[in-house]
Amino acid sequence: MATLVSGLERRAPFDREPDRVVERTIYDTFDWRLHAEGTVLEHEREVPIPPARGGRLPQVARPALVWRAADTGEVLGRIVVDHVPRFASALPDGPIAERLADILEMRALLPFVTVRDHQSVLRLLDDEGKTQARVLIDQATVLEPDLEPGGADGAPGPDASDGDGGDTGDGDGGDESDTASAYEPAHAAEPTDPRSPRIDPMVEVLPVRGYPRAADEVADLLAAQVVLRPADRDVVAEALHRVGLHPGGYSSKLKVRLDPASTALDVVVAVLEALLAAMVVNEPGTRADTDSEFLHDFRVAVRRSRSVLGFAKGVVPADLLDHLRAEFKWLGDITTPTRDLDVYLLTYDDFEGSLPDPIQPDLHPLKSFLVEQQALAHAELVANLDSIRYAELLQRYRSWLADPTAVPGNAPEAQVPATEFAASRVWKAYRSLVKDGRRITDDTPPPQVHELRKDGKKLRYALECFAGLFPAEDVAPLVKELKGVQDVLGDFQDAEVQKDSLRHFGEALVVERGPAAATTLLAMGYLIEQLDEREQRARAQFAHRFERFDAHHNRVRFRRLFAPARPDHDSPHDPPGEPSPGSGDSAEHAEGPTGAHDSRTSG
Amino acid sequence: MKVLATYNIKGGVGKTATAVNLAYLAAASGARTLVWDLDPQGAASFYFRVKPKVKGGSEALITGRRALDRAIKGTDYDNLDLIPADFSYRNMDLELGEAKKRTRRIDLLIRPLAKSYDYVFLDCPPSISLVSENVFRAANALLVPLIPTTLSLRTFDQLDAFLDEHPGRKKQKILAFFSMVDNRKTLHRELVEKVTADRKDVLATQIPATSDIERMGVHRQPLPAFAPKSRSGKAYAELWAEVVSRL
Repeated sequence: MATLVSGLERRAPFDREPDRVVERTIYDTFDWRLHAEGTVLEHEREVPIPPARGGRLPQVARPALVWRAADTGEVLGRIVVDHVPRFASALPDGPIAERLADILEMRALLPFVTVRDHQSVLRLLDDEGKTQARVLIDQATVLEPDLEPGGADGAPGPDASDGDGGDTGDGDGGDESDTASAYEPAHAAEPTDPRSPRIDPMVEVLPVRGYPRAADEVADLLAAQVVLRPADRDVVAEALHRVGLHPGGYSSKLKVRLDPASTALDVVVAVLEALLAAMVVNEPGTRADTDSEFLHDFRVAVRRSRSVLGFAKGVVPADLLDHLRAEFKWLGDITTPTRDLDVYLLTYDDFEGSLPDPIQPDLHPLKSFLVEQQALAHAELVANLDSIRYAELLQRYRSWLADPTAVPGNAPEAQVPATEFAASRVWKAYRSLVKDGRRITDDTPPPQVHELRKDGKKLRYALECFAGLFPAEDVAPLVKELKGVQDVLGDFQDAEVQKDSLRHFGEALVVERGPAAATTLLAMGYLIEQLDEREQRARAQFAHRFERFDAHHNRVRFRRLFAPARPDHDSPHDPPGEPSPGSGDSAEHAEGPTGAHDSRTSG
Repeated sequence: MKVLATYNIKGGVGKTATAVNLAYLAAASGARTLVWDLDPQGAASFYFRVKPKVKGGSEALITGRRALDRAIKGTDYDNLDLIPADFSYRNMDLELGEAKKRTRRIDLLIRPLAKSYDYVFLDCPPSISLVSENVFRAANALLVPLIPTTLSLRTFDQLDAFLDEHPGRKKQKILAFFSMVDNRKTLHRELVEKVTADRKDVLATQIPATSDIERMGVHRQPLPAFAPKSRSGKAYAELWAEVVSRL
């Protein structure tokens, strides 16, 4: 590297900054939100380099969170902090913290990999002494997690699902010098050991905005050095790769490839397997309560699984199906109290902010109450996840999914073609929603409105789970219209549930704190009033949204895509008729009243 | 995005030093900051070591033939960018005169940058012209450095009168402050005292007359970058805090 540096210095007016040794820990959320924004966040701790002739260690910069654009290395922000808090809300106030908080929301910052990096920086100056491009020479070693041969394997966060990797980023054409280019020594011709903590020295050209030509010139200078070859990844990407992490590798969206030529059983198993994987990947974060989204995503997977199981009558032998449905309902139940309290804590600030200033502090006892309750509920949830019942469920479930036909029992519809099966289930859910929806008036009591919401969810899950079997351009607009209805129903239900819980919390507060709770109760009364108004607004909007969903063109679409072929009765103008007698089981895979909240955070 | 313009009818009052130093402090606090050096003399560009040159010149920018963001240069400081001056800016008045919406042109040009920046500093040439009228329209606040001389205060009154009479101006704040104050001079002390007592739009922070500020031209760096702990370095930090609290 020394020869490279002196070589460059001879060829162009470079200014060399003092070398630095830094320990850099790369942070992101479990679902890679910062990566998705095209940025990298790292906590930098500079290590003083002992002077060659001994003596005192030089002063170094204070540890700081440094936020960069991934493509140019441009620094977007710097926050001096010795330790990285779990949530952006705990960072010192400022514009950077605010922007980070907008992106991270409720998700925790997780340390993914730490490298120790010897950095040399050369700046290409023009005749005014202005920096026009930077050359960064990195010699990095992965410190954590341990990569020594035979070392620990437990990389934090998402697993390397070495998938598309489609974001290496050269592809957008245009001005190439707007992005950094990386090189590594060509002598590393023998494939580097992917488990080695040592990363080959890397040279990066970092452009400065408005000086594209300078970056190109430097890149040309570097490319002319025979010892270098272009590298696939920069140091951060390489370090993540070494520890088995694949940026963007986790998303809460259900992605499963379905084969239209397969059978009903194949589809049910494929979707359930994908959902089980989502549960498994979110379980550690749920247990540790790293952030509330792990439990949320875990619950979404459970709920979707329940929906699929609900559709699986005749496809899965009845004994097994009954067992699984009961056990998954149990999983829903044991996770509900914690989720409810999580939602309260997430919305607490809004609640408090909606109160008139002078009485805002009156609500504080509610917050500490919620925090205590959440800790209790979560401890109970963990105990349940540790139970034999849960272990047995997983074991039985996995062995069935691994060999679904090995289970004895009657499953007449198991071999039905996949599309026919999926269409029939979507159709049934659709008809039930339309039938119930048309009965809703301004005076319909809340429980009935809640039932309708469950109809809607069932339809939405069916559309989502089986989406792979139907043309996406047909299904997407239907999901969108349905979402319009669901949002209003969700608002209604949220308000209803929150009012209920506030009353319940009020009672509990009085029991616990006695007369001291009086002012808090008054503040809570104010909140209940506001929720009442919200509920009324949602109800007022419902009719309009439902009408849109139930419009003629949507009916035609549903019928065309999902209705069973009935040669004698095929007019698309028919409104969906009464459901068949067997379809009245809408409450069967009902969810706790709180599924309601989840819509807010599930995107 | 907040647009701040440093302005005075009179030149040589510390206008550019204010724009450069406050922009540096804004950026150092983490805010995405842009300086547009509108003065054809290009003093702000000089301080940032950026060549005072814009492709196509003032005409290309004002007519929109060249998008403003293509003229942006990254400075040597994090979060701090610059649109350099160009000698052709001396004709900007004429080009604005020919443009549609002639007094709103600059406002319309910088609007699209709202997503990319938290602060835009406009460093204006002295005198009242179509350029300054545009700047008044675009700015959320005018930062007006005053030197404690009778003549300088007179120009402040002129500016006041102009803004009061001028129809269709945006509701912007005037934040004036004393600059180049020498407290050894009795006249300075007296004037500062009198004006701060009379007028609420004059900020409490004063920028002293120090050689550090003059040295900016030697270092070609913002003052807080090379002398943050100096008396004037601290004064600029206080001034920025006071400006932020007024926005």
